[in-house]
Amino acid sequence: MAHIRISSLHKYYDSVHAVRGIDLDIRDGEFTVLVGPSGCGKSTMLRAIAGLENIDSGTIEIDDEVVNNLAPGDRDVAMVFQNYALYPYMNVFDNIAFGLRARKFPAREITARVQAAAETLDIVELLKRLPRQLSGGQRQRVAIGRAIVRDARLFLFDEPLSNLDAQLREGMRVEIKQLHQRLGKTMIYVTHDQIEAMTLADRIVLLKDGSIEQEGAPLDLFERPVSRFVAGFLGSPSMNFLPAKLVENGTYLGLRFADDVTLALPAAASQRLASRVGQDVTFGVRTEHITPARDGELDDGFVDLLVTIDLTQPTGSRTYASFKLAGVAVQAELRAHDVEQPGEQIKLQIDMNRAIVIDPSTELVI
Amino acid sequence: MTVAVRAAPGSSASLWQARRRSLKTIARYAAAVAITVIFLFPVFWIFMMAFKTPDEIFSRPPVWLPADFNLDTFKALVRDGDLGAIWTSLITAGVSTIFAMFFGTIAAYSLARFKTGGRNLAIGILSQRMIPPIVIVFPVFLAYVFLGWIDTFHGLIILYTAFNLPYVIWMMRGYIEDIPIELEHSALVDGWSRWQVLLRVVFPMARAGLFATTVFTFIFAWNDYIFALVLTRTEVVTFPVQVTSWFGQQFVFWARIGAMSMMGTLPIFFAVIVFQRYMVRGISLGAVKG
Amino acid sequence: MSVPRATAAVSEQWVGGPFGDSRFKYFLIAPALFIMLSIALFPLINLLVVSFQGISIIAENKSFHGILNYQRLAGDSRMWKSLLHTVGLLLVALPIELIFGMAMALLFVDKMRGRQIFVALLVLPMVIAPIVAGATWRLMFDNQFGPINQIIGWFAGRDVTIVWLADSSFVWPAILATEVWHSTPFMFIILLAGLAGVDRSQIESAQIDGASAARIFFKIILPAIRPVLAVAILIRALDLFRIFDIIWALTRGGPGTVTETISTFTFVKAFEQFDTSFAAAVAITVVLILTAVTIYALRRIEIAR
Repeated sequence: MAHIRISSLHKYYDSVHAVRGIDLDIRDGEFTVLVGPSGCGKSTMLRAIAGLENIDSGTIEIDDEVVNNLAPGDRDVAMVFQNYALYPYMNVFDNIAFGLRARKFPAREITARVQAAAETLDIVELLKRLPRQLSGGQRQRVAIGRAIVRDARLFLFDEPLSNLDAQLREGMRVEIKQLHQRLGKTMIYVTHDQIEAMTLADRIVLLKDGSIEQEGAPLDLFERPVSRFVAGFLGSPSMNFLPAKLVENGTYLGLRFADDVTLALPAAASQRLASRVGQDVTFGVRTEHITPARDGELDDGFVDLLVTIDLTQPTGSRTYASFKLAGVAVQAELRAHDVEQPGEQIKLQIDMNRAIVIDPSTELVI
Repeated sequence: MTVAVRAAPGSSASLWQARRRSLKTIARYAAAVAITVIFLFPVFWIFMMAFKTPDEIFSRPPVWLPADFNLDTFKALVRDGDLGAIWTSLITAGVSTIFAMFFGTIAAYSLARFKTGGRNLAIGILSQRMIPPIVIVFPVFLAYVFLGWIDTFHGLIILYTAFNLPYVIWMMRGYIEDIPIELEHSALVDGWSRWQVLLRVVFPMARAGLFATTVFTFIFAWNDYIFALVLTRTEVVTFPVQVTSWFGQQFVFWARIGAMSMMGTLPIFFAVIVFQRYMVRGISLGAVKG
Repeated sequence: MSVPRATAAVSEQWVGGPFGDSRFKYFLIAPALFIMLSIALFPLINLLVVSFQGISIIAENKSFHGILNYQRLAGDSRMWKSLLHTVGLLLVALPIELIFGMAMALLFVDKMRGRQIFVALLVLPMVIAPIVAGATWRLMFDNQFGPINQIIGWFAGRDVTIVWLADSSFVWPAILATEVWHSTPFMFIILLAGLAGVDRSQIESAQIDGASAARIFFKIILPAIRPVLAVAILIRALDLFRIFDIIWALTRGGPGTVTETISTFTFVKAFEQFDTSFAAAVAITVVLILTAVTIYALRRIEIAR
C-alpha cells in the first residue's frame, strides 16, 4: 500500500505545456480515477508516476520518498496498459511470470504466484496459450494478472478497458472494482469515459488542459460541479445549457430567456445571486431534473412549463424527449409512455433546486 | 448510363460472356508463362553451361540442352580448389553481416526510441548508402594500402560492415518503430534493465525484421564485385571475382563461369523465396510495407 | 552527416536522463557511427585532400595543386562523355523498366491460380549478382555461340552474326537489355505491392460510373501509387547512376570508350592509369552531385518519415 504526493508537476512536450503545475495527494488504498478529454494530461501524469515519462519540474513522492530519479523498475509499481502489452511470443504463464523473473524470484515461488493470480482471475486453463489465441477479455485478464502477481504497492491502469466492447467493459469494470476491494491496494486509473470514472472511483480527479478542474467523490462532482466543463463532462446524456438573464421576479430572482419565458429561482439561489441581477448567465439543468409535472401543487423550488415535443428517443425504461426552449434544444427524461408521438404537448416540471447557474465569462458555477 | 440486364443462364449472351472470360484467362496465363520464360531463360542458359561439354558450349548453332548432365566441371572446380571462392564469400559476407546486424540494430534502437540526433542523423546515415561504391572504395583503397590491409579478410569484412550499416540501421529503425512501445514500458516497470529489454522484448519482437534484414544484408555483401575487385588480390578471392577471372584474353572458361554462377546464385534464390514476404519492404528501404 | 549533439533537444521524449538513458542512447549508436565515419567519412576527407594534390603514376607530388585537377576535369571530354553515357542510360532504362514493371504488375495484380509461383520466379533475376548477370548476357550476346543471334536468325530466316559487344551501334542495346532484364523485377514487385494497396472500392465505384480502363488507371490508380512510384524511381535512379558491374562484365567500357560510365571511368583512372589525384577529383564531383540530389529527394518523398 502506498500514498502518493504530487507537487507542482510540470511537463512540456517541445513547446506544448502538457501538465501545468498539478498538486495531488492520494491516500493509502484509495481508488483514484484521472479522467478528462484526450490531451488533458491524464496519461502523461500516470506515466510520470510510473517513471516512463521525464518530468520537467515538481516532485512525485511515493510513501514520502521522492521518486523523481528512480527508474520505473525501482518504484515498485505495477501497470496495466491500454493495448495490454502482452508479449506475443510468450505463453500466458510466461507473460505473467515475466515481472517476477525480472526480480529473480525462485522458480517454485513464481509457479505458485502465477497459479494464484490465474485462479483469482479465472484463467488457469489459459496458462499454456499464446496471447493471439485469447479473446480481448481474456487478454485483459492476463494483463491484470501480470500486474497483481508482483504484489506491487501501487497499481496504475492506463485506459485498460477502452479496447473492449461495451458488454465486456461492464463486466471487467465490476471485476476491477472487486479486485480493489479484495487487494486494498492504492490504484490510479486513467480513463476518458465518465461512466467508468463514476462507477469505479473513490475519488475522481477531473483534468482539463493539464490542470485539475475539480477533484472529489464522484457524487460530489456530479451534484456540485464547480464549472460548466465539469457539469457537462459528467452525466449521460449531457447536461442542458441555455443562455439566460438574471432578473428580479417578485420575491425572488428569475432566469429570463430570449423569448421572455422566465423561470423562478428558489430562495437559496436567489439569495446567493442577488448581487448579480441584470447579468447574462448560463442556465444548466440535467435531463433527469426535467420530468412530467405532477398534478396539484408544485414542490418548493419546482417550476412548470408547457412544451411541444420535437423528438423522442425511447431507450426502453425511459424516453428522452427534446423540445425547444427559447430556440435552444433541451432534453427531458420522461417515463416510457409519457409521450407517444413528436408534436404532442406536455406539461413538464423543472427542479430548480438541482439546476446550476454559470457565469459565461469565467465558465464557473456561481 | 446504361443499365445492364443480366441474361438468364444458358442464354447465348451468357455463353458468349463466359467464353470471353475464359479467353481472357487463357490470354493472361499465356502472357504470364511467356514473361516468366523470357526472364528465366538467361538463368537457364548460364546454369546449363556447367553441364555442357566443351563441344556443346562451342557449337554453332548453339546447343540448348546438354546431351547428358556431366559433372566434370564441378569436379574440376573441386580439384583446382576454386570452390574456396564460395567459402571466402561465405566468410566475408557472413561475418560482416553479423557485425552489421548487431551494431546496426542497437544503433537503430537508439534512433527509433530516443530519436538520437533527430531526423538529420537518420537521413545522413541513409544518404551514405547512396554514395556510389567506386567513390567509397577509392579512398578506402588508399587507406588500406597505407594500413597494409589490401587482400586481407578483415579489410574486406570491415568495408562490407561499414557499407551495410546504413541499410541495417534504416531498416531496423522501421521494424523497431513498429513494435508497440508499451511492451518495452511494461518490461521497464517490471524491473528489467535497458539491455534486458533489448534482449528479451525488442529482439524477439523484431525477429521477422531481423531475419529479413539479415538475408538482404548478406545478399548485398555476397553479390559485391567492385569492393572485392579493388581490395583483394590472390589471398582473398570471393566468388564474383573468381567468376570474372575466367574471362581470359584468349579464352573464356564458360563451363566454370556457369558452374560457379550457379553455386553462387542458387542459395540466394532459395533465401529470397523463403523471405519473399519481406522482399518489398527490404528492397524499397522500408518505404513500401508490401 | 551531422553531429548528434546538435539536435539532442528532441531526444528525451521517452524516458529521460535520470536513469542514464542519455548515455545509453549514445552508447548504442557509437560503434555504428565509429565504423561508418572511419570507413566513409575519413577516407572521403582524405580523398578531398588528394584531389588537391598532384599524385599520379609518374609523380608522388603531395604539394598543393589548387583546383588544377578540377580544371583538368572540366576540360576532359572523356569524363563528360562518360557522364553523358551514364545519364543517357538512366533516362532510357528507367522509363522502360517502369513501363515493363507496371505492365507485369497489372497482369498479376488480380488473383489467379499459381500467381505466387509466377511472382516468386519473376523476382529472381533481381537478386543475381550484377557481375553474374553481366557474364550471363555476355554469353547470351556471343556472336557465335550465343542464343540471341540464333533466335534472331530464326525470324530473319538467315544466319545472323551481329558482334553485339564490339559493334558500337549494337553495344548500347545489349547493355540496355541486360540492365532492363536485371532490374525490371525490382519495379515489378514494388509496383505490385503498390497496386495491391490501392483502395478497390474506388476502382469499383468508377467502373459503376462507366469510366474506361485507361481513365481509371490514370485518374485513380496512378495517383494512388504515386508515393510508391517515387520511391521506386529514386532507388532505381541512384542504382543506375552508379552502374558498374554489368558494364564491366559486358564491355569494360568498350569498344574504345563507347560505353564508359562515370563509375567505370573513375575505376580506369584510379586503378588502371593510377591518375590518383585526378580520379579523386572525379569522385569528389560525383559525391557532391549525388549527395545534393539524394538529400533533396529523400526529404521530399516518403522513405524518410
